[in-house]
Amino acid sequence: MTQHFRLTAVVAGLAAFAAWPAAAQKAGGDIVITMVQAPPSLDAHVSSAQVARNVNLHIFETLYARDETAKPVPDLATGVEVSADGLTYVFTLRQGVKFHNGKALTSEDVVASLERFRKVGASATLLAAVDTIAADGPGKVVVKLKSVQSTFLGNLSSPRSPIAIMPAEEAAKPGGQARPIGTGPFKFVDYKPDSHVKLEKFADYVPNPAYKERDGFAGAKIVHVNSVTFRFVPEAGARTAALESGESHFNETADGPTAKRLAGNAAFQIVKVLPFALQVVKFNHAQAPGANADFRRAVALALDPDEIMAIAYPDIYKLDHAWVYPGSPFHRDRGAWKRDATAAKAALAKSGYKGEKLTFIVDSFRPNVDVATVMQQQLQAIGVAIDIKVADWPTVSKIGFTDEGWNFWTHGFGIEPFEGPASVISPWVKGTSQRKADPRIDAMFDRINSEMKPEEQQKIFDSFQDLMRDEAVALNLGDYGLFQIASAKLKNFKPYRIPRMWGVWLE
Amino acid sequence: MSALAAAARPPSRPWRELAARLRANPSFMLGAALLAAMAALAISADWLAPFDPLRGSARARMTAPGATYWLGTDHFGRDILSRVMHGARLSLLIGLAVMIVTGLAGTAIGAVAGYFRALDGPIMRLMDAFMAFPPIILAIAISATLGGSVTNVIIALSIAATPHTARVVRAAALVAREMDYVEAARAIGASHARILVRHVLANSLAPLIVRLTYVFAIAILNEAVLSYIGVGPPPPTPTFGAIIANGRDFILEAPWITLAPGLAIVVSVLGLNLMGDGLRDVLDPRLRTPLR
Amino acid sequence: MLGFALRRAAASIPVLLLVSLITFGLLWLVPGDPASVFLDASATPEAIERIRRELGLDKPFPARMADWYWRLLHGDLGRSLLLDRGVTEAILERLPVTLSLAALAFALATALGVAAGALAAIRHGRAADRSLMTLALLGLSIPEFWLGLVLIWTLAVGSGLFPAGGYVPFTESPWRWARHVTLPAFTLACVQMGFIARMTRSAMLETLGQDYVRTARAKGLPESRVLTRHALGNALVPIVTVMGIMVGALLGNAVVTEQVFAIPGVGRLIIGAVLSRDFPVIQGGLLFLALVYLAVNLVVDILYAAVDPRVRLE
Repeated sequence: MTQHFRLTAVVAGLAAFAAWPAAAQKAGGDIVITMVQAPPSLDAHVSSAQVARNVNLHIFETLYARDETAKPVPDLATGVEVSADGLTYVFTLRQGVKFHNGKALTSEDVVASLERFRKVGASATLLAAVDTIAADGPGKVVVKLKSVQSTFLGNLSSPRSPIAIMPAEEAAKPGGQARPIGTGPFKFVDYKPDSHVKLEKFADYVPNPAYKERDGFAGAKIVHVNSVTFRFVPEAGARTAALESGESHFNETADGPTAKRLAGNAAFQIVKVLPFALQVVKFNHAQAPGANADFRRAVALALDPDEIMAIAYPDIYKLDHAWVYPGSPFHRDRGAWKRDATAAKAALAKSGYKGEKLTFIVDSFRPNVDVATVMQQQLQAIGVAIDIKVADWPTVSKIGFTDEGWNFWTHGFGIEPFEGPASVISPWVKGTSQRKADPRIDAMFDRINSEMKPEEQQKIFDSFQDLMRDEAVALNLGDYGLFQIASAKLKNFKPYRIPRMWGVWLE
Repeated sequence: MSALAAAARPPSRPWRELAARLRANPSFMLGAALLAAMAALAISADWLAPFDPLRGSARARMTAPGATYWLGTDHFGRDILSRVMHGARLSLLIGLAVMIVTGLAGTAIGAVAGYFRALDGPIMRLMDAFMAFPPIILAIAISATLGGSVTNVIIALSIAATPHTARVVRAAALVAREMDYVEAARAIGASHARILVRHVLANSLAPLIVRLTYVFAIAILNEAVLSYIGVGPPPPTPTFGAIIANGRDFILEAPWITLAPGLAIVVSVLGLNLMGDGLRDVLDPRLRTPLR
Repeated sequence: MLGFALRRAAASIPVLLLVSLITFGLLWLVPGDPASVFLDASATPEAIERIRRELGLDKPFPARMADWYWRLLHGDLGRSLLLDRGVTEAILERLPVTLSLAALAFALATALGVAAGALAAIRHGRAADRSLMTLALLGLSIPEFWLGLVLIWTLAVGSGLFPAGGYVPFTESPWRWARHVTLPAFTLACVQMGFIARMTRSAMLETLGQDYVRTARAKGLPESRVLTRHALGNALVPIVTVMGIMVGALLGNAVVTEQVFAIPGVGRLIIGAVLSRDFPVIQGGLLFLALVYLAVNLVVDILYAAVDPRVRLE
């Protein structure tokens, strides 16, 4: 079996296509996308799940949004004026923006939406620094902060659980009950759970005149197709089969071997979304032996991340151990993983671990189970005994945020490294993720939040990454990506955090 | 021994004759052969399996069946043949355990309900309630609640299989209760416990054995479903279901991962079903095949 | 007849009550709650608490239970925590999907199963009998989800005859409906086919030995008429009795088939609800399935009495 397969050519071809003049565009058509899961809610405020973003960010927009390099740029706002003390933000709204219900966007809607997010938002802490939100005439919104926050615009533009702007009357509804009415380029048509969500082109949408083309979640969102149908197909083979038989145009998640098989086929284009997330291994610091830094270091020294990632994410991983993605202004090379079986055994001996069975919890997402399985093998070599406990996400996340019932937990960190340093540090504040507060981490978080100078932010972030590595607070095994496979009929697609269906057309 | 006591003993089948009739039954013999072959593979896995079922080889990931790996490898580079052999061990063990637990629980519940009139109504209503859930949904819900482990899978599948078994035993017990020899035993002052064990249970043995063979078969099938849904036994120890669940994402690229354990299930279950048919023919021709 | 039906219906009320209590028992024990489904892995405990409050999960379990029974008395099964609709609506919109799938599977299984069983009985002891019965037993021994995967692998990709998954309502396009449900219905029908074939064969062998069949033959009726009218007709009686079990099995097995073929049916609704802890849907869905199961069994009993006058309704 030949191991050579080249995606680079395909990806390069795509990039070239993206730069093409707009002459070849074709209007019309229904794009069918297959995804693994359905969004837990179409109320954009209440879910921070990845699958929710895929759909919701076609319907909703935010005041500021992340561009192609994850920088916050204006979207529904035309810009912001920040007062000299850094506490007052005055946003000017874009003119002529309409909601899908025909109503024009006003400052009243923005105020209601932000207020609602503070109450029901799945990541309401994004707005924790906000003191008051008020309208200043129909076209301006004034946000006052309690204290200076360097990440405020970053938070406001976070796609995590988007601070979506919805009509004031929808924003008056309790969490989870707002109807999917936004200002985005696509309008909600219908949702059949376990089947599909259908969106259609919003005829009254006016692409942001400040931009020429799409740019991350912002930019000029020009829609060429008539509609987009997201179909939920849990079985990987069925998603591929649907693509191969022409029932769908885009498979949102494919496995390495599938991509490899279809790479040579002119009917398909393979898209690599890498990095998409980084693989985190958490330790429970509230329990022995995870409480012991020597034990955690021993585990780190014993692991071979290359083997782990190659099995869990074949052909779509990168051994980059920085806690943000390459391309981020905060990304620095963190060097190669240190592996040393002798040192691992020595550290293990120092740790006081006596060979007792440890529990590795993991949700049933196959690559996560793979990571746990390979780690179990590798750790056995230095005498660490592990029982793997696979359960559904509700069970695992319930256990994983308590002090008992687990020693290891692995999953992806997708959106945090995309958002930037403060978001990466945040899960470790007050010991939320490692179950034991570390005052050093808490202090770093406070400092990076109020530090406005990027160089200083970088220093804080570097010291955080040093701490994570030196004490193995948690492990970052490397970046992994998603293979997406598109029909060759889909033109001008460019990979991003979600499969954006603006700017593309069907041939 | 008085004539009365002799009459009180149930008409016991001579085991030798039974064995001879089973040997003459082609269904039973074919089924037993299939199951024995599978059990032999399972038992000999430690010596005969060509590779370590848990350890993969980086260079051999997803290798198609060939000279080295007869049934190919999975995406860890683990040998499928070795995994299926070891998987047979756990899958058959789970089936066997479910059969035993269901047999004991079903017999106890069914015999008590059938023999003690006062308890019959409440117990059987409860069994009706459990039977009103589709068994596989009940098993999935229980396994999700208890957490996926070998023990919990056995518990979940046993709870799902017990009500029907209890009903089978109860029916036989109801008949036995009215038999002359039971009344005779009661007349000579035998205790309830003694009558239950010696007479009522003995009479329900035939339908019970037939039913339990199918319970074994259904348990193997349903363990695979639990693994497929993601609430089965945890890795890395293989079961048939776990191997299939592992290969399902690669069904188009590496179908061998999924095919081999699936066929192993078919052979095991077919063997058990054939044995069940044979036992039914020999023991109790009136019984019909239950549906999973 | 009516009195019998009413009495039986009344008797199923305590069973349904037990069903709901068993379900509550499970829900009480199950770890985790649906709040986590809304959130990613770095959600703060405050965020989880907030969602829990939004979903009404902060109330103590007995209060939620009392609430549920109170609503049920008013014919309300509550609202799904995740699907943005009422439980009744969620079930009813999926019912046609599962029913049409199960009905097609049932029709396939009955038609092919009865034919195979009858043929095997007529050719009793010969090669046709043996091979048909082996086939039937094979059908009973195949794991459904595995068969589904194999069918996707062999038929859905290569031939392009059948879609690999999804569903189109019959009312929207009968042709596309048929294409979408053929593979799943066949998968689902396999077990039932084997089952019915075996039932038909043994029932027919029994009737072929009965006096009235011999009488019919003695009267000089053509063999084909004897077989279809007398033997097969009477052999169908025991098959009617197992239809209740069959519907139960179809509904249960549909869960897995719906998962493999991405069909938005009732089974997938309930499994999805179990895995995401959508409590009202689990509770309402299981109660609904139990209700269907009991209703079908009641109908079967009445039918049984209708086709076999020897059975008295007691």
